[in-house]
Amino acid sequence: MIEIKNLSKSYGSVHAVIDLNLIVPRGELFCFLGPNGAGKTTTIKMLTGLVHPDAGSVRLCGFDLAREPLAARRLLGYIPDLPFLYERLTPPEFLEFVGDLYGVDRNRVNQACDEELTRFGLADHRRALVGDLSHGMRQRLIYVATFLHDPQILCIDEPLVGLDPYTIRMIKDLLKAKARSGVTVFLTTHILAVAEEIADRVGILSRGRLVALGPIDELKKRHDIKGDLESVFLMLTADDYGLPVSPGKENAAPCIP
Amino acid sequence: MHPLRVLYKKDGHMFANLNTVLRRESSFKVLFILAFALGLFFGLYAVFLSGFRFLNILGGAGFMVTRYLFSLIFLALGVMMVLSGIITSYSALFRSRDSILLLTSPIPDSTLVLYKFTESCLLSSWAFFFIILPYTLAYAVHEKLSPFFVGWTLLFSIPFLILYSGLGTIFVLLFIRWIPRHLREWMILLGLMVAGLIAYYVRPTARTGFDDSQFLLSRLIPGLQWASQPLGPNWWAAEGIMAFARGQIGRGFLLWGVLVSNTLLVIWIIRSLGKLLFARACQRLWGIVPPRRRQERLGAMLDHWLQPFGTISRGLALKDIRTFLRDPMQWSQSLIFFGLLGFYFASLRTFRYNALPDVWRNLIVFLNVFSVAAVLCSLSSRFVYPQLSLEGQAFWIIGLSPAGLRRVLLTKFFTALAAMATISVALIALSTTMLGVAPLLKGVTVSLSLAIALGTCGLSTGLGAVFLDLKQSNPMAIVSSFGGTLNLALSLIFMAVVILPCAIPFHFLNLGKIGPTTLYRTLGIVGPAIVVLTLLTTILPLWLGLRSLQRREY
Repeated sequence: MIEIKNLSKSYGSVHAVIDLNLIVPRGELFCFLGPNGAGKTTTIKMLTGLVHPDAGSVRLCGFDLAREPLAARRLLGYIPDLPFLYERLTPPEFLEFVGDLYGVDRNRVNQACDEELTRFGLADHRRALVGDLSHGMRQRLIYVATFLHDPQILCIDEPLVGLDPYTIRMIKDLLKAKARSGVTVFLTTHILAVAEEIADRVGILSRGRLVALGPIDELKKRHDIKGDLESVFLMLTADDYGLPVSPGKENAAPCIP
Repeated sequence: MHPLRVLYKKDGHMFANLNTVLRRESSFKVLFILAFALGLFFGLYAVFLSGFRFLNILGGAGFMVTRYLFSLIFLALGVMMVLSGIITSYSALFRSRDSILLLTSPIPDSTLVLYKFTESCLLSSWAFFFIILPYTLAYAVHEKLSPFFVGWTLLFSIPFLILYSGLGTIFVLLFIRWIPRHLREWMILLGLMVAGLIAYYVRPTARTGFDDSQFLLSRLIPGLQWASQPLGPNWWAAEGIMAFARGQIGRGFLLWGVLVSNTLLVIWIIRSLGKLLFARACQRLWGIVPPRRRQERLGAMLDHWLQPFGTISRGLALKDIRTFLRDPMQWSQSLIFFGLLGFYFASLRTFRYNALPDVWRNLIVFLNVFSVAAVLCSLSSRFVYPQLSLEGQAFWIIGLSPAGLRRVLLTKFFTALAAMATISVALIALSTTMLGVAPLLKGVTVSLSLAIALGTCGLSTGLGAVFLDLKQSNPMAIVSSFGGTLNLALSLIFMAVVILPCAIPFHFLNLGKIGPTTLYRTLGIVGPAIVVLTLLTTILPLWLGLRSLQRREY
């Protein structure tokens, strides 16, 4: 479970995140949406301990990130939008390294090398150096490595960037399965169709403030929109783009020139 | 398994896989790089050996200098290690690409900092060993010492290196944690203090009537005394090595123990600071908002100055200048190297080098040209050579623009040249003015510095285009590639080929072996040859680079 209380972060005079309060329960797949610069990445970085908040707190599975960072990090799996991999390691060596970092049993690592690399289509590349893998293959390897220590919380920034349709399908199914098995999945994406397809709940961030929170159908009802998530999103974030809302229809999608 | 062991094990795998990487390279490339490294090693050995022999010829002062030189070189290397430690620690701790992966894993900050410190030591150490080993070998051969001497040196060098490199890391951790809020004002104050110090040191001093040996002793002994302070780690290392060489094993181990215990203290301090400060230092650094107003003002000024060059060249040059100014690694290294040289040249009169006989002043002038040229070679190889490759995935922006690849290449060349030539000419002009040399020598050395700036910029820009690697985002990998090594080797060869034909006739003139007429005649032949060589070294790589860019498929 993720518990965020009164979280705020500023960079100079820019307020990246303002007084964010949010609880993502165990087993929920939560999608965090917002325009560019709305504060999504700052929030996810605060959830992972990479950025310290100016105010407020984050608890991961009951562990306060500021007070017990190591205990919290053990339960966390994080995939940034541009993940780093050691280019001069082979995929099994990379998995072994990540496994050792998290204290994963060697048999479990070996099992992952056999099963997961095959499942993710990397079995034929076991002896290749990571630097020689394509972008999509590296992304797949990152997923294998992140799942290796069975994290209780998954934070993923733009999970489907650079993946082929087959892998996208696979990742979506995998994330849903992880959530069903009790893992809390917190992801940010700009692909609203993905959020609409897999999210149990979404949160929309605009200029650092959480402007909408709930299941997608509920949001549509609340804002009286018959369209899709895109319409809800565009209406709620119109200010970010400096767009006017259609005259006389304050609760509808904004006019896009 | 302890996290530190896990991290080292990962490095072990990466080292083992180096074999796979090397096997893919052509054996010519690998052999070339090896030959270059060996050439550099034995070249330095030869230089050091002839230096010791030269000191031997000097007699009294020479013997005295030789006695203390071991301590002095450790002091100089110690200062180098601190500076190098600052740069590599900053880069390893705060700018490394694996930071996010490691910071989100359950590794304690103290362990992470210790691991990054090891990385920083290893990165700094190759230059240290490339100097200390040929030096020790030359010293052992000259003094007819046991071959174990090199072994004793290694025994002391490792803790010595860790200690001084650690001081750099400690400085970085403390500085980043408490970056002054009013950095600009602090920098101005610091600049004023440095300027005041320089003004104090370079105040004019009258030429004295000392003879050579008196002068050397009075000038050199204070420096040597400083180097041989018994509280300095450089003295422990130098004295300890000598004690082992003399067979005083007990004294040797005592000094080694002192050095090792102090090194352990430094490691403990780094570990503690890592635990206490690292996370806060990261937040402090990553939370810095650049002062926009200053950047806008600087951008507007550059924009105005570059107007005469047309919009396209102005745009390209502005991008490169802004990239340079916003990369602390680039400007800090340039500032350190050129700043130290500038400070040394400005202090030449303090050391009364201007009062030396002509033969010595001539030697110092050309040594200074060598120093400036070596820094030019190093910086152009480090920063100018990888410029085009670092465009990386953004290459399509300039590649497809109406600027044309020719203009792109030439703008990069001229931007680098403007900076390199201005600094090198100014430094050599300062050095010759401080030494009070004749106008002819001044003209020749200033022209040489201009020629070297032209040649190194041409080579680095041109070869950077010939060996373009758009897939590589790590500048160090680009610099240490075959093309980067070839560029450095050719730059150093060009430097030697251009300087020596001018330095030798002036030296012979001062020794009385040739007359002024012979000097003029020699310069009359050498001068045009250098002009032709410089033009060839500048234009040919640029032409090859342009051809390669135009023929390449992207």
